[in-house]
Amino acid sequence: MILRNISGVKNMRKLTENILDKFSIDYLRNQVLKNAYGNDDTVIAGLDPRVLLVWYLFFGLVPWFLNDVVFLLGLFLFVVMTTKAARIAPLVLFLFCLGVFSQTGYLFIAALFFGGSLDTAAPLLVMTLKVAIVSLASITVFSGLNPDRLANGMLWFGCPGQLSFSISFAYRILPVLMEEFQNILLSYRLRGCPPKKEGFIGKIRYLGYQVKMIIQSFYPLMLNTAKRSRTTVEALELRGYRYSIQNPAVRRMKLSMLKITRADLMFIGISAVWVCADLLLSVLISR
Amino acid sequence: MNIIEIRDLTFTYPGASSPTLKHLTADIEKGDFLAVVGNNGCGKSTLCKTINGLIPHFIAGDMTGEVLVDGMNTKEQEIGTLAKKAGYVYQDFENQIVCPTVLEDASYACLNYAMEDYEAKGKEALKVCGLESKTDDYVWQLSGGQKHLLALAGTTALSPDILILDEPIAQLDPAHADGIYEVLRELNETFGKTIIVIEHHTEYITKYCKNVLLIKDGAAQWKLPAKEAMRRTEELRKCNIFPPQVAVAAERLKKEGLLSLEERLPVDIGEGVGIFAPILRKKGAVKRYTQQMAAERELTAGFENVTVTYRAVKGEPPKIFDGFSLKIGKGEKIALIGSNGAGKSTMLKLLMGLIRPEEGRVLLNGVPAADIPKEEMGRTISMVYQNPEEMFIKDSIRRDIEYAMQVRKTENYEKRTEELLEMFRLTELADRDGRLLSGGQMRRASLAVGIALNPEILLLDEPTANLDIATRREIMKTLQMLKGVTDTVVIATHDMQLVCDWAERIIVLSSGYVIADGPKEDIFADMYVRRQVGIRPPQIYDMARELGIEDSCFTIDDFTEYFRGEKYA
Amino acid sequence: MNPENKITQSQKLMVFVLSMSLYGLATLFTELIPSFQVGIVEFSVEYFLFIPLTLAMLFDPLSAGLGAATGELVFSEIMLGQFGGLGELEKFLTVTIGVYIAGRLAKNPLNRAVVAGAAILGVIVQQFMGCVVDILKVQFAVEEFEAVPGLPESVFFTEGFAFLNDVLFSGILFCMLPTLFLVPKLYGKIEPLLGMKPRNAENMSASPIPVKGVVLSIVGFAAAIAAELLASGGYELIDWEAAWAESSSAIIVAIIVAAVIALITIGVIRSKAASSKETV
Repeated sequence: MILRNISGVKNMRKLTENILDKFSIDYLRNQVLKNAYGNDDTVIAGLDPRVLLVWYLFFGLVPWFLNDVVFLLGLFLFVVMTTKAARIAPLVLFLFCLGVFSQTGYLFIAALFFGGSLDTAAPLLVMTLKVAIVSLASITVFSGLNPDRLANGMLWFGCPGQLSFSISFAYRILPVLMEEFQNILLSYRLRGCPPKKEGFIGKIRYLGYQVKMIIQSFYPLMLNTAKRSRTTVEALELRGYRYSIQNPAVRRMKLSMLKITRADLMFIGISAVWVCADLLLSVLISR
Repeated sequence: MNIIEIRDLTFTYPGASSPTLKHLTADIEKGDFLAVVGNNGCGKSTLCKTINGLIPHFIAGDMTGEVLVDGMNTKEQEIGTLAKKAGYVYQDFENQIVCPTVLEDASYACLNYAMEDYEAKGKEALKVCGLESKTDDYVWQLSGGQKHLLALAGTTALSPDILILDEPIAQLDPAHADGIYEVLRELNETFGKTIIVIEHHTEYITKYCKNVLLIKDGAAQWKLPAKEAMRRTEELRKCNIFPPQVAVAAERLKKEGLLSLEERLPVDIGEGVGIFAPILRKKGAVKRYTQQMAAERELTAGFENVTVTYRAVKGEPPKIFDGFSLKIGKGEKIALIGSNGAGKSTMLKLLMGLIRPEEGRVLLNGVPAADIPKEEMGRTISMVYQNPEEMFIKDSIRRDIEYAMQVRKTENYEKRTEELLEMFRLTELADRDGRLLSGGQMRRASLAVGIALNPEILLLDEPTANLDIATRREIMKTLQMLKGVTDTVVIATHDMQLVCDWAERIIVLSSGYVIADGPKEDIFADMYVRRQVGIRPPQIYDMARELGIEDSCFTIDDFTEYFRGEKYA
Repeated sequence: MNPENKITQSQKLMVFVLSMSLYGLATLFTELIPSFQVGIVEFSVEYFLFIPLTLAMLFDPLSAGLGAATGELVFSEIMLGQFGGLGELEKFLTVTIGVYIAGRLAKNPLNRAVVAGAAILGVIVQQFMGCVVDILKVQFAVEEFEAVPGLPESVFFTEGFAFLNDVLFSGILFCMLPTLFLVPKLYGKIEPLLGMKPRNAENMSASPIPVKGVVLSIVGFAAAIAAELLASGGYELIDWEAAWAESSSAIIVAIIVAAVIALITIGVIRSKAASSKETV
């Protein structure tokens, strides 16, 4: 565990070096896949996706309508626990924290220039709390579930079949694309000659060089991917993709695996009890 | 009974000036195992796409004549009906797999066509294709050979009567290639499927196929029983197909008058024994081999106790290398062989400093490879990827070749670019985009890009994969030429002909360990190693051994030597 | 049997897959570099919009737009576990509309002025819609938004600045210029790989007049705006109720409202699903 943390710290230090060294693509790919499939055996992953989606609908909407801090904190505590139960990949959590705090922190600083004071901070903190609850709820649901189950759940709620195809295809194609992108970038790095990154001007130029390189690398990537996608689409046609979109029977078969179990009911029960208790608590305190 | 009847088929791709298929007429019997052969661009793939209805339903173009599959005209049928009749496995099978997990992909088509027992069908297909143990794995965990089997499973799950495979073994090591063909034979013999392969490996055609259809310039030249077809050496050669080596050897002996003209040409080792044994003159050594040991050379790169593990999605991270050590001397010409997944690519990546070893060191001229800035590496070491498309980052090969020199402000880089273009016979193609060239041209261009900075060490990953045999020869010539240009060359390959013709030292990797290291004579003679990693020397080598010839024969010239001169006592 | 029509269908699918994979990959990267800044100029997702813009100018604009929006949704949101649920709808629509408009305008991919103009217009459309939505979001999430000292100004300032920055700096530097660089380079090269003919005046005019497309964008834009108005309307409603009620009862009302909305949504969707099942 400690060892893993040290390597994590190493990765973090690398993050600051430059865009390309910020993360190794290998690491990223692994994190994404881990996030998707690495935790199939958690409590959350075993739940029915429809239940989770309804659950998300509640935790994703209700906080926006509330301003009671005690109640919000209670909800926050709950989604923290569900997030833990879903065993989310550290990278995702890191991005989550960065996203939540950078956004509101930014606003606060800007507000100070417009005559804001510490009074401005309080409502912003409440907003941060709301954003945090909603985000953690979505992390629990959307990264706790594996993509196929998520796709099936969304299909049940009437999302077009193209979306569930896109999700499953994305997981298939991502490792392939990343490897290709990595190799193309590598070609640039090995053959290119970046400007020296000394001094401020040098750093800017180095950065500009890297951005240019990434943009340019999409020229070969586009052509190579075009080559691939032709075979893919031909194969899709042969394998009946278009039929599946039009045929309701296929939808029914895909969804037949969805079943509400005792665990689902318990999950709903616990959530309901928690929310009621929380509500009671907030009413008691405010009295 | 004919399952496929093609009548006077002419097809022109949109925008093409002349038709790809010209009045092609052919019949394919039910239960056949047919090899379709012909040179590049003769219309083999196009023909196969007309059978499953991709032409004319998805690929526009001008089509006349008709294709009947099981009595149905493909023009009048829905693509779905045809897909259940004729399955197709692409040459770039990677892009045919569209689901993240193995079982999902295998049952994908069945689900789409709303078959209630789609999962059972997928499982059954996986079982037939030998992927039973991989059912719950993710596609990215599979090796190249397994992916190919998965593409096949995804196709067979629909249980089509006809299976069409476009160059099924082009990227595989011999063990995996055998695996694919054994599965196909099983499908053909036990399940009664009609199998059509586009293939140019004549050894596999002889061993597995029943009939051969030769396509030339968009028309069917002839259809013959496989062995009969392989004896038509002259016609095969005209279509850039290399006949079995034993047939070529016998033909040569006939020309020299050493073999009676009446004898039929042998096509495999079994037939070869009957023909060659009576006329063999000697078995002993003909010439001496000289070897220079690695130890005498100046060290240029080395692995010292290297341990590498990969990040795992789940569970214990797998170790690729564990205490791996190796020395590479200056000026060596090394072939790195081993089955898919033995660690060849990892080794090359370590040398390039792309992977940092967890323990131990990888040294390049005494400096740890991972510490050299990538930008400075170009003059020391260079790597040509397996997929040449990834070498092209500019919009013409001239600009690709000159790029590295240009940004390093090399003097006279224009002149050097011209020289390289000349050397690799690319001058006329200089302004075209690398990706849009033919397979062989693309390889040549990628090699030119790779040596532009004149590196001391050149690493090549599968330089002959996915090429037809004529192009392969061409690349081999280019590699021979490189011997005088680049000092140290390491090639990771499955291509044993390349190994025999080119390598001076062979390193055999098996699950992260060097299990053999030495000159080709030693490696191929070691039956244990051969079995272990599934490497296979050229046919002529095995023929010679079968005849009891003591020394190793790697070329037909070596072999015919034993039939000349004094009669062996 | 209409092979001509079918071919365009599968080619559209190719463009969709291409746009989805590439833009998805790009957004995955930018998502991982969330706050990369040079001074006050922020570098984020929008700037990879040159990928779908390029594709939209070379191929079918609607497929490219939809593909890009789906790609962003799937790769950078769902795969990284950052799927914002309902909030993603707005991003989906703005990207599709922006890319579609740009692709539709660039009739001749070799005319640099047109390509540049179309690219920047696409960015403006997309950014403007996104900007409006962002302002409304904060307004909605903060209680008594107007009364918080300095907040309204700061929100309008940051959003307005971000909009101008995105359009003038990043839009030109990272969207327009790469599109200008890529479109002519790829023109005539990438089309044969997908088995298509390069876009020219003839096959553009041969395709149906974009009435459907125009209507679609208007409807889409209206939907995005309506969603926002509805959201802010809902906010006012609850705010108004909260004014006369005790705060705790306001909570209860809010929860009930949310629950009812949720239940109704589910019910509607369910019945829709059931009716589509019956058609089997």
